[in-house]
Amino acid sequence: MALLEAQGLSAYFGGLAAVKDVTFGIEPGERVAMIGPNGAGKTTLFNLLTGQLKPSAGRVFFKGKDITNHSVFSRTHLGMARSFQITSLFPNETVLVNVLISRQGTQKRQYGIVGYLKKDKALHGEAQRLLESVDMWDLRDEIVSSLAYGRQRQLEMALCLASEPELLMLDEPSCGLTTTESADITARIRDLGSKITVLMIAHDMDLVFGVAQRILLLHYGEIVAEGTCDEIACNVMVRDIYMGSHEHGRADA
Amino acid sequence: MDEPKGDTIVGEAANEPTTESVPGDAQVAQGQAAAPVKRARGSLLRAVLPIIILGVVLLVLPTFIPSFLQSLVTKMMIFSIFAMSMNILWGFANIPTFGHAVFFGAGGYAAGILIFHAGISNFWLNLVLAVLFAAAVAALLGFPAFRVYGVGAGNTNPIYFLLVTLAFGEIAARVAIWARSLTGGSTGMAGIPYPDLGMGLKMTPSRYYYLVFIFAVVCIYLMYRIENSHYGYGLRGIHDNERRMQALGYNTWLYKYTSWVIAGAFGGVAGVLFAYFGGVMTPNSLAMQTSEIGFMAVILGGAALFAGPIVGVVLYVGIEYLASLYLPDRWPLILGAMFVVVIMLMRQGLGPMLLNVWRRLVHGPS
Amino acid sequence: MNQVLVTGLNGLSYAFILFLVAAGFSLTFGVMGVLNLAHGALFMLGAYIGLAVVGRLDAFWFAVVVAGLGLAAIGFALYYFFLRHLYNHPPEQGVLTIGIALIVANIVLWIWGPFAQMGLTPPRLTGVIHVGDLAFPIYRAFIVGVGLVVLGVLWWMQDKTRWGAIIRAGMDNKDMTVSLGINYGLVSTLIFVLGIALAGAAGFLGTPILGAYPSMGDNLLLLTLVVVIVGGTGYIQGTMLGALIIGVLDTFGKAYFPSAALFTSYVIFVIVLLVRPSGLIGRKVF
Repeated sequence: MALLEAQGLSAYFGGLAAVKDVTFGIEPGERVAMIGPNGAGKTTLFNLLTGQLKPSAGRVFFKGKDITNHSVFSRTHLGMARSFQITSLFPNETVLVNVLISRQGTQKRQYGIVGYLKKDKALHGEAQRLLESVDMWDLRDEIVSSLAYGRQRQLEMALCLASEPELLMLDEPSCGLTTTESADITARIRDLGSKITVLMIAHDMDLVFGVAQRILLLHYGEIVAEGTCDEIACNVMVRDIYMGSHEHGRADA
Repeated sequence: MDEPKGDTIVGEAANEPTTESVPGDAQVAQGQAAAPVKRARGSLLRAVLPIIILGVVLLVLPTFIPSFLQSLVTKMMIFSIFAMSMNILWGFANIPTFGHAVFFGAGGYAAGILIFHAGISNFWLNLVLAVLFAAAVAALLGFPAFRVYGVGAGNTNPIYFLLVTLAFGEIAARVAIWARSLTGGSTGMAGIPYPDLGMGLKMTPSRYYYLVFIFAVVCIYLMYRIENSHYGYGLRGIHDNERRMQALGYNTWLYKYTSWVIAGAFGGVAGVLFAYFGGVMTPNSLAMQTSEIGFMAVILGGAALFAGPIVGVVLYVGIEYLASLYLPDRWPLILGAMFVVVIMLMRQGLGPMLLNVWRRLVHGPS
Repeated sequence: MNQVLVTGLNGLSYAFILFLVAAGFSLTFGVMGVLNLAHGALFMLGAYIGLAVVGRLDAFWFAVVVAGLGLAAIGFALYYFFLRHLYNHPPEQGVLTIGIALIVANIVLWIWGPFAQMGLTPPRLTGVIHVGDLAFPIYRAFIVGVGLVVLGVLWWMQDKTRWGAIIRAGMDNKDMTVSLGINYGLVSTLIFVLGIALAGAAGFLGTPILGAYPSMGDNLLLLTLVVVIVGGTGYIQGTMLGALIIGVLDTFGKAYFPSAALFTSYVIFVIVLLVRPSGLIGRKVF
């Protein structure tokens, strides 16, 4: 059974179709990348899948369940998690608090009003493990807004992992990162293990080829090509639409 | 390495446990007055010490001051509870509201009605029922109110919510005027006796001062616990980044709604104490006139210090008293001018300023 | 049958008064997103200024102009010195304008005292017109006419002029609008001033019907909020619709169910909030 399935998803803004009749599935353990020129509808599609946007048509299935009308937070409880293209953290809090808040998001303990959060040893232990897995335990008392951008992106991914998701949806995880930082993220995603399925939007081809087993190409809101890295790399149409212009600047389509 | 900038900032921040690291100030400079500048880090004692000192002062005060001042301080304590409850919403959860007095008035009126129309003279029973009523009002009003609190992709629109809460306050006042048989109409209800604690103790203004003091301490302590609990951190997260919180699995509507009810309950407590204090409840206690005390408190007190709103209350009650002595007819003008001045010149509130003064006192000039 | 007609006409004229009260607010709030809670107080100030002019010079139409221009100047000062700096901070705008409302109301009380004043209709608009065997006050018909003119002008401005387009663009994306070289600041200042001037002139025009008393600001503000929220913001037609619904239903309520009349408007208000939070014809915000 496919972990995530989209059937005929469409999103219309007025007369403009941002996403048009998208159908695809993702199997458990897969690493899938979504590529396409700017404005192709990738983030809109993400928003449809995660529930930030209600589709004009179509359905979304997760683990066989129809989640089209589910709220954003209930999808997270089912096992989805997403990162944002523009880093979305809690800027006024420390790194540790960021992780603590993220960790309890899918847990019942979040409603506790009796104890102090800061004295919850079990939660702190879980947070520590999470931070150590991304080498950020030493930075735990830093205020997030004072972190370097690369670190913030790392934290962004760590927050997504806090809910122990089955499906991790990353929106341009290497956006704005240096080559070294991107290589680091690529390695981390690769090392996530087979229990986590990854669907990511990416422009960075090193990241895509380094991680993805399957690639979906989006153009004007539709999936126009699908295949393995080799197949896509050899696909002439793909090169016309995307990769050629990727080398030389923005496509004017 | 690729992150020299990050490392430098990390180094600086690690040596200076203050609330004024640059990015925080940048946030403040952008004028996000309703957003809490970071709480005072550092030891719990340092955060709580000003409160302890204040508490001690308040305990011994009645022996030094004339009774009219004592009564003024009682009023300040009552409205501190009110303002702190409003700050749960305004400063902490980032839900500015113009109608918080509805809960205050609901609690006070309920207390009075229970005495006059239900014959409940036991203070404790009365208190519990009245606060439950205030919470019920909050629970009911929360539904239409949060219908218009725009969420969606990090773009909250508090304007509608402000208008709706304002309307609620004014409508509540008119309901109170209309329900003459219960509420005494536009002149309100008078003659609420001093509370009967049921312990055979006769209540005097002095004793009532201490009763209010105990309530203030308990309520503010409870608010502190709530704000630092797991739930409280959920609210903080929603304050900072609601979209992210939803993506993390939080039912943000539920958090906002429950914080609204909790704040309403505490507001009701203040209302009950107020009813017994002055013996009078008027429709104004539901309307803007009373919510306005809260504005001064949460904006002037700022959200930087947990107990910041208390400063605003002291100023409000103090200046109101002085105005009643020297310029009684001009008080609304003075109040309006205070709002204008505070908004235009002191939007971050006195909090950061006070924090500086406090730190200088405790640690010596740095 | 006659009763229904009379009530209907009363409701209609009341609706147009409500519209005139709320139109200025709808401009500044619905179109610009500015929260001006001093609206009621400024309306009242217009009434008092106009009445003062009539008291001294016995010139009705001149008083309208003075009220309008006077409030325009105050509106300009309010925007330029205060509200302009609070862009995107609705709670602060709210508290500030509440402060202004307090100041204005107290000053009015100080200068003119606590007693209500009633405006007098100008000679040419005094009296009644006879429709069948009904006698309908000419001035109320005049108010309906003024309301229609204001509605027409604002609707035209909103839909057909460049100003309207600029404001709508600015509402969607201020930075982009400004960076396109459009003088958004100028246009928004003018629109705000227009809204306040409208409130001032309407304030005086309303005195033969609403009177003038120092605490009327609060009542009018509440009515304005109810009208604007029910009708929806962003479009002047919404305000007209809200005024019609509230005005007519409230009048019928008072005529046929006097004891519950107070609450007709409020019940409608709450229902609209629950069912269609953006208002009946509002720009879809929720």
